[in-house]
Amino acid sequence: MTAQNNKDVTHIAFHQSINFTFDGVKYRGFKGDTIASALIRNNVRVVGRSFKYHRPRGIYTCGIEEPNALVQILSEHNEPNTRATIKQIYEGLEVESQNCWPSLENDLGSINSLLSPLFSAGFYNKTFMRPRGFWKKVYEPLIRKAAGLGKPPKPFRTTSTQLHHHVDVVIVGGGLSGLLAAKSLAKTELKILIIEQDGFLGGILKNSNKISTIENKDNKLWIKELEKKLEGLENIKILKNTLATTYNYINHLIAIEDRTTGTLPLDGNVDQILHKIRADHIILANGHIERLVSFRNNDLPGIMLAGSFEKFIQRYGVIPETNPVIFSNNSSCLSLIKKLIDLNCKPQAYVDSRSGDKIEPELLKIIHKKNIPLFTNAHIEGCDGKKQVQEISVRDAEGIITKLKSKMLCVSGGFNPDVHLFTQSKGVLSWDDEYLTFKPDKSFQNTIVLGSNAGIFQYSKIVNDINTKLSFLDHEPLLEIDLTLNDTDKYSIEKLWETKHEKESRWSKSFIDLQNDVTTKDLRQGIQEGFDRIEHLKRFTTNSMGTDQGKISSINALGIVSEILDKKVSEVGTTIYRPPYAPLSFASIAGRGTYDFYDPERKTSIHEWHKKNGAIFEDVGQWKRPWYFKSHPEENLYEAVQREAVHVRKYAGVLDGSTLGKIEIKGSDALEFMNLMYTNNFSKMKPMSARYALMLGEDGMVMDDGIISKINDKHFIATTTTGGAAKVLSHMEEFAQTEWPHLNVFLNSITEQFCTFNISGPNTRLIMEKVFKDIKFDNENFPFMTFGNFTYLKSTVRILRASFTGELGYEIYVRPSIALKLWEDLFRFGKDEGLIAYGTETMHLLRAEKGYIIVGQDTDGSVTPHDMDLEWMIGKNKKDFIGKRSLTRTDTIRSDRKQLVGIKPIDPNDIIEEGQHIILTSSIKPPVKMLGHVTSSYVSPNLGHSFGMAVIKDGKKLIGSKAYVSSSSKGAFEIEIIKPIFIDEENKRLVS
Amino acid sequence: MLIIECPYCGPREQCEFTNGGEAHVSRPSNPEEVTDKEWSEYVFFRSNPKGIYFERWVHSHGCRKWFNAVRDTSTDKILRSYEIKNDKPSPADLEDSNLTTPSGEPDVGSGNFTVKKL
Ligand SMILES: [Zn+2]
Repeated sequence: MTAQNNKDVTHIAFHQSINFTFDGVKYRGFKGDTIASALIRNNVRVVGRSFKYHRPRGIYTCGIEEPNALVQILSEHNEPNTRATIKQIYEGLEVESQNCWPSLENDLGSINSLLSPLFSAGFYNKTFMRPRGFWKKVYEPLIRKAAGLGKPPKPFRTTSTQLHHHVDVVIVGGGLSGLLAAKSLAKTELKILIIEQDGFLGGILKNSNKISTIENKDNKLWIKELEKKLEGLENIKILKNTLATTYNYINHLIAIEDRTTGTLPLDGNVDQILHKIRADHIILANGHIERLVSFRNNDLPGIMLAGSFEKFIQRYGVIPETNPVIFSNNSSCLSLIKKLIDLNCKPQAYVDSRSGDKIEPELLKIIHKKNIPLFTNAHIEGCDGKKQVQEISVRDAEGIITKLKSKMLCVSGGFNPDVHLFTQSKGVLSWDDEYLTFKPDKSFQNTIVLGSNAGIFQYSKIVNDINTKLSFLDHEPLLEIDLTLNDTDKYSIEKLWETKHEKESRWSKSFIDLQNDVTTKDLRQGIQEGFDRIEHLKRFTTNSMGTDQGKISSINALGIVSEILDKKVSEVGTTIYRPPYAPLSFASIAGRGTYDFYDPERKTSIHEWHKKNGAIFEDVGQWKRPWYFKSHPEENLYEAVQREAVHVRKYAGVLDGSTLGKIEIKGSDALEFMNLMYTNNFSKMKPMSARYALMLGEDGMVMDDGIISKINDKHFIATTTTGGAAKVLSHMEEFAQTEWPHLNVFLNSITEQFCTFNISGPNTRLIMEKVFKDIKFDNENFPFMTFGNFTYLKSTVRILRASFTGELGYEIYVRPSIALKLWEDLFRFGKDEGLIAYGTETMHLLRAEKGYIIVGQDTDGSVTPHDMDLEWMIGKNKKDFIGKRSLTRTDTIRSDRKQLVGIKPIDPNDIIEEGQHIILTSSIKPPVKMLGHVTSSYVSPNLGHSFGMAVIKDGKKLIGSKAYVSSSSKGAFEIEIIKPIFIDEENKRLVS
Repeated sequence: MLIIECPYCGPREQCEFTNGGEAHVSRPSNPEEVTDKEWSEYVFFRSNPKGIYFERWVHSHGCRKWFNAVRDTSTDKILRSYEIKNDKPSPADLEDSNLTTPSGEPDVGSGNFTVKKL
């Protein structure tokens, strides 16, 4: 009820009112306000409930470090966990508090506060272990309802994008040190990028009252002039509203730019840009962060960090409370006290943990002059109040407690250099005994750290430091800069991590991590239970594991732990700081790579025809392949496949096989190379003939298969499986370049240069003779596994007699430009012969009937040619080929390996399912001995029953015997193990 | 992301490359004559040192050429890259080969400490 405006600021437009809602209530702020500053202006103190205990929480800081004030933005697809201290308001913004159930005011979850013994350190690991089964039914649903941060966002289309930069120097932070560094580098030829997380430059010059003039100019004027000068330079670029989140190896930075600060993101406009920056040198000038002090109920709304309180006044023009109590263990509150006095708002009391002789005379002078009640050598014992601070207990040196009635307590526990990015770069920290914090010590990369980020907390040292560290860049040395300070030149601090508190009740808690509700007691308990390594303790207590990563408290935790363990803080060490510095949305990482741009779609030249003719597509890698064709709109997959499969064996069918990988192998050593790559022997093969071939890995396992066409000893064409094309080409390239570079061989992918049609069925020859009138297709002139080049529409087509269905068949290779014409010709001439188009599902069924395997379906990288009943494909006389030696390893010649067999149900009505287990009994009561599993299974209209292929232990020996297969509907049923071939074992149809 | 020097194209971003495992693992020229153990050494076993490591890369989204590189696995610094046909550089020829890890951690063990161990 006591916030007041401070109209002497540049970044709030007091003439421009903005309406927004918080938990359904309308509020008014000004252009430039964040949600936090606007709520403070409206005297809203409670903005959320805490994670575990559902305690009321208020705004604790004024920036990126905020642990408490996380809100959900309803007007932006429900974006959760938004920092109220960063997000600027705009007309119509709708905000909701988080973790409140059913409402912020009456939160049922705060009962957790009374159950708090249950929620102490390690509670996830301990409390919910017993009784067994309770986790899933009772604990988890309850915890899910009560815990967590915000609700998931609604689906939305991101409009973010990404940009790459290659520069000489990046300056992270446009504050005092960053600006001075830029100034001194301005005249160099270096290409410089300045990254500033705020919408303006200046940092401490604008966010605090610490410096009032610089080079005898008002701060704002000085910044304005310098910015104008920098902007006029070709070699300098400034990115505002951009946060550096990640510092990778080889000076690679990732920074996220918010393009919609203070406005509603509009559809179609870019809302964020993810900058990926590579630089020769990175200058970290990203300042410091204030830390808290732990005391009893140090989480009550109304408690705020002192520097943040000052920032609200200086930058957002709102005095959160005119007469706060101020508590500190260091020199930094001088500027805040001066500011409040300037604004005719007197602090209600100043409490300093230091003794009077250690407090800066300047600070004492002003306190005495203004009659501010002073407590030296004193601590805040704790705070009390219902939903916000009402009473503050101060304990003086004698232990006497004075109770102050106040609604606001400003706390400063000192400063930490914001070392997050520095440690991400793998720089090493060291402990500073004077400033009681970790600071950068040794860079691992080309990293330069300046100003308070380097642990330099003395204004008069900044310039000299910059001159020293940048001299190697031939910069223009800076002259000493005149500053008018409202602060002491040198900052001083006394150790204080936690104060002793008196009142013992379940509600009395001294927090170390506000976001994760971790108390100082939890740290003690964790250590007592043996988690005395800081990385272990972090995970056991969840300290600093929230979205804020303990920015205002992680060093305090180290301090407390060091005292419990009686070690130096440097011995305790820090946990590893991992990127990102602050949460980064998945949308920004995905950038444009979503929806249509997620993954390319590859379509064959016949795609449109397929669509027009009822094709339903399946994705095979990036390819769209017809899965089956609907003969009428009601036909389902099963019906279509049954129809297509009968039809192909009775008449004729054609499959669009254009997606098959095709590789051209040329060179004087092509034959030798092919003999090494495949198991088969191609030496005695006649030119213009083809062979089914098998490729193994060096471990002897089946890797791919295909048809090899030999044009002559110097020229081969290999087909690969659709999914294996890229892998096979890489595999060949690897061996050609690394193992056998002496072989003269060239490899080229020609997958997209040719469309392939696989036509098969008894009527195929009639159709081919009608389409290609000059070609003789009889067995004499065109025997099985031969091919020829022919002319069709003035273009060369290659026709290969081969079949993947077991029927008479041909593969036609044709240029994409005339492929559709040929496809349509096939149907024009094939109509009377009953030609249909069929899809991949029917192709799978037909090949399985014939006992042909599919690599990747019937094989899984652990089967040899022998296991697959394909020994006949191994060139016995070849001295070597990839994988040959592995075929005689003791493990690969075991007789009890899983081997390919065929299976069929004894009862023809039973249906075998893929992936089911082959077992020996009809009972599936555990334990069940498993022989193997079903790799392929189909209901065959041509056989009249279901059948399958399976890999089972010692399978070849079991052919002719009976076993059982498990089933999703009826336990297990009996099957017969047979040879893995179901139709035309004598190949009569194939060579007809 | 690393920057890798392709001996044919020059320095490029890591995303253009695919790692091909340890380099200078030679395929037995007489597979028929080696023992199961010797053959397995070639097929399955690779070294995993902390420090200097010779490895193969292929510029898969570039010139598609295979080459070898020397990387210090404790710092990820690539000390040299060279064509397949070149000999394995001797460690003495490698500048910086005695680079320590960021925090000067022990020879065995993983992870980097953020604070220098004294
Ligand atoms: Zn290259």
